[in-house]
Amino acid sequence: MQKFHLTGNFPRPEPLIEVTRQLDRGRASESEVQGHLDHSVNELLELQMSNKLDILVDGQLNWQDLFRPFIDLLAGLKPGTLTRWFDNNTFYRRPIVVDRIKRAEMPLTKYYRHDLIPEGRGKAIMPGPYTFAKLSENAAYSSFADLVDDLAHSLASISRELTSSGYRFLQLNEPSLCTATIEELEIARRGFDILAKSSPRIMLQTYFGSVSHIKDKLVDFPVDCIGVDLYANDLSIFENGSVTTDISCGCIDGRNSLVEPVDRTVELVTKMIDAVAPHQVYVGPNCDLEFLPYVVAAKKVQLLGAVRRSLNRE
Amino acid sequence: MSNLFSTQEIGSLPKAPWFLSYLRGRNLEQSDLDHLEKWSNTASFEGKHETLEILSQTRTAAKELRLRQLASLFGVRFLESTGLDIVYDGEANRIEMYEHAIKNANGFKFYGRVRSFDNRYYRKAACVQRVGFRFAYHSDEFEYVLKQAKKQVKVPITGPYTLAEWSFNEYYLERLMRKSADLRAIKEQAKREFLLDIANEMLRPNLESLVRAGASWVQIDEPALATRPEDIPLFVEAFNECTHGIDCKFSVHICYSNYQSLYPHILELKNCNQLALEFANRDTSRESAYDQLRLMKDAGDTREIGLGVLDVHVNSIEEPKVVMTRILNAARFIEADKIYVNPDCGLRTRPWDVAYDKLCNMVAGAKLAREAIGASR
Repeated sequence: MQKFHLTGNFPRPEPLIEVTRQLDRGRASESEVQGHLDHSVNELLELQMSNKLDILVDGQLNWQDLFRPFIDLLAGLKPGTLTRWFDNNTFYRRPIVVDRIKRAEMPLTKYYRHDLIPEGRGKAIMPGPYTFAKLSENAAYSSFADLVDDLAHSLASISRELTSSGYRFLQLNEPSLCTATIEELEIARRGFDILAKSSPRIMLQTYFGSVSHIKDKLVDFPVDCIGVDLYANDLSIFENGSVTTDISCGCIDGRNSLVEPVDRTVELVTKMIDAVAPHQVYVGPNCDLEFLPYVVAAKKVQLLGAVRRSLNRE
Repeated sequence: MSNLFSTQEIGSLPKAPWFLSYLRGRNLEQSDLDHLEKWSNTASFEGKHETLEILSQTRTAAKELRLRQLASLFGVRFLESTGLDIVYDGEANRIEMYEHAIKNANGFKFYGRVRSFDNRYYRKAACVQRVGFRFAYHSDEFEYVLKQAKKQVKVPITGPYTLAEWSFNEYYLERLMRKSADLRAIKEQAKREFLLDIANEMLRPNLESLVRAGASWVQIDEPALATRPEDIPLFVEAFNECTHGIDCKFSVHICYSNYQSLYPHILELKNCNQLALEFANRDTSRESAYDQLRLMKDAGDTREIGLGVLDVHVNSIEEPKVVMTRILNAARFIEADKIYVNPDCGLRTRPWDVAYDKLCNMVAGAKLAREAIGASR
């Protein structure tokens, strides 16, 4: 039976956008923002549960970008210049590695809302060690491989804490893997070896690129599931029995407001189920939904619900 | 020597707080009035008393229109007072570079905001019908600025690629979806049709109108360019379509992009005299961002460069010597008389005093660079 989930940041609802803007202008307090944030996380969880998604995320609604929480959670990093986030009109602050990376004292609760997610259904999301290192400015390590290793150890430490807090799934975002060289893939795999077993189920999420040229190497990664962006790949990559793990099928476009027709999506997922069998298919967006306005992202969650109902003939 | 390293703005300034309060129907605060007082004096803004009068009166359409003109004049005088050689009005009456254009064109619908970075958002529209021209949305603004400005005027206008890239493409995609099942091929074709319709049906009539009104220099803003390197030829096609045969100086502003991906395609821009690029944001003590100008030199690109020397995302003020060094670094690769000096991008996210100090230091830095070049010649 296929499972349904979201695969990243969810857009902030309009009231939360407004209050964070007011905070920046000195017209709202931190506690007001926190109140809106708690409400918004609960609303998002309710949206996922009412559409019967199997795995739940908190939406990372207070993350400024994929790396910013880790500037707090890890020692040895500081925020750098604004940099384009792949081919999007969204920018992140490039982390600068200024010292040896290790887990800082900062608790996780500010960035991971397991306090609000029902026990056993939560998925924690973090950058994978390869993408983290690739998109950082390294001013401290003599080799890229050493940086990936230390990041992996630190992320594994956070992952173990998250597992102790009740998370059953860990998603490691690795969009940069789509353009990695063979040598870099080997470095990335070693990073995943370090992270293996830090969570009951580890999902490696690729997006914004094709995996056709790296799929033979990806099978060596010690993960339970690999996420593939179907807006950057076609189904032929799953042919000839090449699938060795569960696959997260990114069939809902997180970067276009056009809500996909239910029948077309069901058809695509059905093909995926056949291609991936006997492994499990996870159905979700190809990437974060934060590239969409909140109302459109919410419609895409409802679409997932409709696809689920159609597939299960509910 | 005096025209070496001419200084220019790139586009936006923050909205004046008194103007914003008026537009939002808020009561004026003392800080609004203090702002008007302070900058009227600094910028020799001749419209202060009339502004105060309108702000104190009951709102009418005619009064709002006049206040909009005064806000524009305020922006012009502010920029002139920093010593810039080339000015506009800080886009005082544009909501934002993307939304202003899209709201005044046909075919689009807004669903809500999406993040640009941190807590900064913009309203992103979806194209739900064929793109069309509604009216020349910059012409009145330009005519007023041209009449008032004491310095050379350059009009910034958002370019076709950015308008397409920052919108959701529903109409062109859905239309093609009915004809084919190849999603990736459809997306590419839909993108091209959308972009060329923006260039031909929406931007070209605007450019023609500006030139008829007396514009001699239009800056096409393309911050989205190089988002997808494979799209550069598509941008070149759209730029050439919308500027072909129009008698005007055109420049292109590009920022926060990988400039390597621009070449060689960008050499095919037929009616472009200047590339205005961001550099200061990426300039570090370890590596000079201005070394990237080697790309232009190696490609044989002999156009003017608009050199970004101010980081518009930080409040620290670049010293004139830093500006000078950046200019001189650039002059190692580009002929000095082809270098214009500007902030990396619009200054709308900086406070007024920061924007002012940055621009004044930029002008002072350009002067230092002129002197240094003069001394070495």
